[in-house]
Amino acid sequence: MITKKALSRRTLLRGAGTALALPLLDAMLPTMTASANTVAAPANLRRIGYVYMPMGFNPSPWIPKGDTLDQLPSSLQSLEAVKDQVCVLTGMDLQSAYPGSHATSNSAFLSAASAKRTESTDYYLGTTVDQIAAKHIGQRTQLPSLELSMDLLSTVGQCDNGYACVYQNNLSWSSPTTPLPSEAHPRIVFETLFGEGGSPEQRQVALQKRASLLDAVTKEIQRLKARVGASDRNKIDSYLESVREVERRIQQAELAAKDNPLPDLDRPVGVPAAYADHAKLLFDLQVLAFQGDITRIVTFQLAREASTRTYPEIGVSDPHHPVTHHGNDPEKLEKIAKINQFHVSLFADFLKRLRETPEADGNLLDHSLFLYGSGMGDSDAHDHSNLPILVAGGAAGNLRGGRHLKFAEPTPLANLHLTLLNKVGVPLESFADSTGRVEDLFDPVAL
Amino acid sequence: MRILLSFLCAITWTLSAAADDAGTTAERAQEFERFVNDYCLDCHSQASAEAGLDFKKFDFSPQQFGLVEFDSQIWETILRRLAGRQMPPADAKRPSESENKAMVESVASILDWHSSRVPRPGKVDALRRLNRTEYQNSIRDLLLVELDVASLLPPDESSQGFDNITVGDLSPMLLSRYLSAAQRISRIAIGGSQLSPGGDTIRIPADRTQEKHVAGLPLGTRGGILFNHQFPQDGEYEISVRLTRDRDEKVEGLTKAQQIDVLIDDALRHQFTIKPPPGGNDYTHVDTHLQARFSVTAGPHAVGVTFPNQSASLIEIKRQPFDAAYNRHRHPRRTPAIFQVSVVGPFNPNGPGSTPSRELIFAGDTKGGSSIDRAKKILEPLIYRAYRRVITQEDLESPLWFFSEGEREGGFEAGIEAALTAILVNPNFLFRVEQPRIQPPNADAKSRVEAIDDFEFATRLSFFLWSSIPDTELLEVAKAGLIRDPNVLEHQVLRMLADPRSRSLVNNFASQWLYLRNLDSITPDLRLFPDFDDNLRQAFRQETELLFADVVENDRSVLDLISADETYLNERLAKHYGIPHVFGSEFRKVKVPADSHRGGLLRHGSILTVTSYATRTSPTIRGNWILKNIIGTPPPPPPPNVPNLKEATTSSATSLRERLAQHRADPACASCHNLMDPIGFSLENYDALGRWRDYDGLLAIDSSGSLPDGSTANNVSELERGILLHPEQFVGTLTERLMTFALGRGVEYYDGPAVRRVVRNAAEHNYQFSKIVLGIASSEPFQMRSVE
Repeated sequence: MITKKALSRRTLLRGAGTALALPLLDAMLPTMTASANTVAAPANLRRIGYVYMPMGFNPSPWIPKGDTLDQLPSSLQSLEAVKDQVCVLTGMDLQSAYPGSHATSNSAFLSAASAKRTESTDYYLGTTVDQIAAKHIGQRTQLPSLELSMDLLSTVGQCDNGYACVYQNNLSWSSPTTPLPSEAHPRIVFETLFGEGGSPEQRQVALQKRASLLDAVTKEIQRLKARVGASDRNKIDSYLESVREVERRIQQAELAAKDNPLPDLDRPVGVPAAYADHAKLLFDLQVLAFQGDITRIVTFQLAREASTRTYPEIGVSDPHHPVTHHGNDPEKLEKIAKINQFHVSLFADFLKRLRETPEADGNLLDHSLFLYGSGMGDSDAHDHSNLPILVAGGAAGNLRGGRHLKFAEPTPLANLHLTLLNKVGVPLESFADSTGRVEDLFDPVAL
Repeated sequence: MRILLSFLCAITWTLSAAADDAGTTAERAQEFERFVNDYCLDCHSQASAEAGLDFKKFDFSPQQFGLVEFDSQIWETILRRLAGRQMPPADAKRPSESENKAMVESVASILDWHSSRVPRPGKVDALRRLNRTEYQNSIRDLLLVELDVASLLPPDESSQGFDNITVGDLSPMLLSRYLSAAQRISRIAIGGSQLSPGGDTIRIPADRTQEKHVAGLPLGTRGGILFNHQFPQDGEYEISVRLTRDRDEKVEGLTKAQQIDVLIDDALRHQFTIKPPPGGNDYTHVDTHLQARFSVTAGPHAVGVTFPNQSASLIEIKRQPFDAAYNRHRHPRRTPAIFQVSVVGPFNPNGPGSTPSRELIFAGDTKGGSSIDRAKKILEPLIYRAYRRVITQEDLESPLWFFSEGEREGGFEAGIEAALTAILVNPNFLFRVEQPRIQPPNADAKSRVEAIDDFEFATRLSFFLWSSIPDTELLEVAKAGLIRDPNVLEHQVLRMLADPRSRSLVNNFASQWLYLRNLDSITPDLRLFPDFDDNLRQAFRQETELLFADVVENDRSVLDLISADETYLNERLAKHYGIPHVFGSEFRKVKVPADSHRGGLLRHGSILTVTSYATRTSPTIRGNWILKNIIGTPPPPPPPNVPNLKEATTSSATSLRERLAQHRADPACASCHNLMDPIGFSLENYDALGRWRDYDGLLAIDSSGSLPDGSTANNVSELERGILLHPEQFVGTLTERLMTFALGRGVEYYDGPAVRRVVRNAAEHNYQFSKIVLGIASSEPFQMRSVE
């Protein structure tokens, strides 16, 4: 458990450097609310988020006893205040992640695709659900999607044997060969969302400068295209696509800068020292991004697979990865449960904040769907069945919360992906190895 | 006509060369077949052939060696097993040492002959962007701007053990970052004014002990931090300091008034005083006044924040204090510590001042004439170095356009700043572009190979040795067409290795090769290893870096990496190792006695720690690390769903060795663990933090182990001796790692002949480091490319 002391406002002040989690959110509320009114009033679900926790779970303190969430098990206790908008799903699996490994747990989670086993640059996976959503509903916002993570350090030689590190590091892939790097630094996330700040005029000027720089880049890349061999022209075309995408973002930001004067805020300078403060800051930035309708799609990796992070703040001073090879040692299982509980509590706080933020005739959470979970079930065996999965939000889409959905037969996670994509307006008939939809999740309504 | 003539000459030459070589090659193939019949057929034949290799069906015919289609991959694999004495295995009938040696040479010469007939230098991606480290170094060398680019660009992905391989992409996010980075760096280089004061916060790791002197800060101080900061303009800057708190929000060790010194370039600029809080309990405001504003000139400066040392005598307590002191419950701080330092500014900016960057950029300014001519004079040399090739009129267009725009808005210098931004986002700077010149491939093997361009060569060389752009001298040598001249090349390689920029071979190459980068993510279990702190972690890294740096700088034999009889220590590390008479925070070379268990790489705390778990050693990880990074025969990836080791429980005092033996009883595990574990066992006398031990808990250490060739290695000395018995294996592995890093692609089986040539040539010079580097720089894969 997090002690009250550890989350005192003073700790946060110190933790975040000179700019802070809570005050940042508060300071921005007035202007952002104004901006929320300028976008079309959302009647339906219109945004989707994915939160990844690594290395599976300890099932017994996680899986609810009955079909309801009246009695929340200990690992999910923190969801109490929002449980009417949460479903716990058990019995789903990821066949494409086998043979069992950390790399594939992460890479298959949103792609339901098999990773090509290679340590070189010829990696190949699949397009992930968040990016499918981004192509359909992300084009209306400044950022089609936002990819976040918590790990600032990269390691060498410690990615899964036989798999390039891209599989373990990137949740999000915009094509089978294009992993999207995630950002862990709050200041950079802030600048991605809001630019360097300043008055509306100053921001306009800055954006115009970027746009003209981009024009120069386009011209030079086209010059380059004439020089390289035929086989590399495809690559150049993909660069040009990136240029156009950045152009589009600048245009969107210019529009936003006109209608939506930002206060001259302090940007976060450093990375909060405590894990919980860091995660909270990144969750806060997601709330802001949703509130300002800067993006509608977010992925967030709470830690990497095979992470050796320690969690001394909740009494787990051993590194996460070795603990998850528990060998049924009760002491280790207890630690896994603690880490599960801790991660879920951060997610629960996020849901609460979304629910507290009004939007149209409801709140942010009503118009959002979230999938929280892991690509690994029992970490001791690197197993990808019986995954820990939560679905949250979605009142506007008639998600029937407060329930435990237990699949008697192993059911592909892709079924859930397909269901959620359909709900946010992506017209897909099937996805990866899907065999159907999880109809039971929502009230039957005519869309 | 001339082309046809030279083509004919080439044919006659190859035919005559083939005439006498083909004969010897045929004999060698026969020898090899006899050898295989004698030693290999027992296991490698018919349906039950081990590893799927059936020598009954194997093609020994000599005709194939001259053909393009010859598949050298399986031959290279066989050669590697023979050379490593891993095959035939120790429990089978084995050839004599001399017989084996002859066969290794024989197979190698077949493969070398094939590669001379059908060269295959491999292909490096034509478009590779600079990775984060390379970008940072390039900015430093191009504009003399020293910035921590980690706060501007995302990290790179690692493949084949290095982060300069997966660099073909340009995502929208990355492109966005490049735009921001270019604007920021150009502004700093020129000293242009910014919208609002900017800043950085530098935080000291929570587990760093601050009771003693920090290297680089004045003697007589303790704790604190020293860092370089780029001050964008002359002006006032605000430095603020926060103190470290414990879990109860108290500042540990703050029992009496203390001073904090703020130094810029070693000069004392401000002194704070901190006091215990009145009432003694609420520490909220003990450091809120630690803010000082004073003027600093533009440019890079060293900022130091530290405590003048006050403690007079040692505190006497009942038990020996731990070396680490950063945590109230287990090992409390005895004195206050610094949590973070922020530098924000400039306030009241007073112009760009005089900085190394400005001096460099405006060196070519004629001061007179039209502003566009002046701009040209300033920009041309910068573009030349940034694009690393002769520049064209077209290259000037975009920077000059931005210059005019910028000048119109904000004057001459604003124009230069805008032009710099355009240069820094140009793909010719951001990407290493290598373009094939021959286009349509035809059937002739020779024509599918071409030399890379001289400028491309210069760029490969500087990114290999400096992880940065070439300097003017190297570019001039390329421009003059001399860079391939062996004497010129040798001179340039030696010059570049002697240059401080070659430090990148240590902190970029070696830190990845040896996994030193992983030290930061390692935190041993506090309860088992209460003496561990960040000071020790950094000291571990330094020791290994300094040994590698010594080999590079003094051009020593790379075998010294294994067999060194001296090492680098400061007081913290010496104490950890139990070596007396080393005092102070600075590192120095120390001759270590034979019984000290210190010296070469395999005895370094860094490597012994990154190959251990948080709670215990792992002979498997250590063995695997040595196989992969030292011996060069990595075992295949583990099979899926492997059962894990049972942890030791208090009820059953089994040793790690016994538990691993149970694991190896499973045949699926045995084939690899039989190779890995016995190597790791020989290092069991080093605990998970690299300290020497004779007992693991209550059990005496049994360090009997062996090498993959079957020879015994019962301790670290025997392990080292075993490795150095076949130095070409270790040097070959190092060469492969260096080559992977130098080329930015994985080393493949067809690179085998080139690697062996580098090793053979270096052997004549006792494996001096520069000879290996020069060998790689002269090799086909480095100088040529396949055109496909």
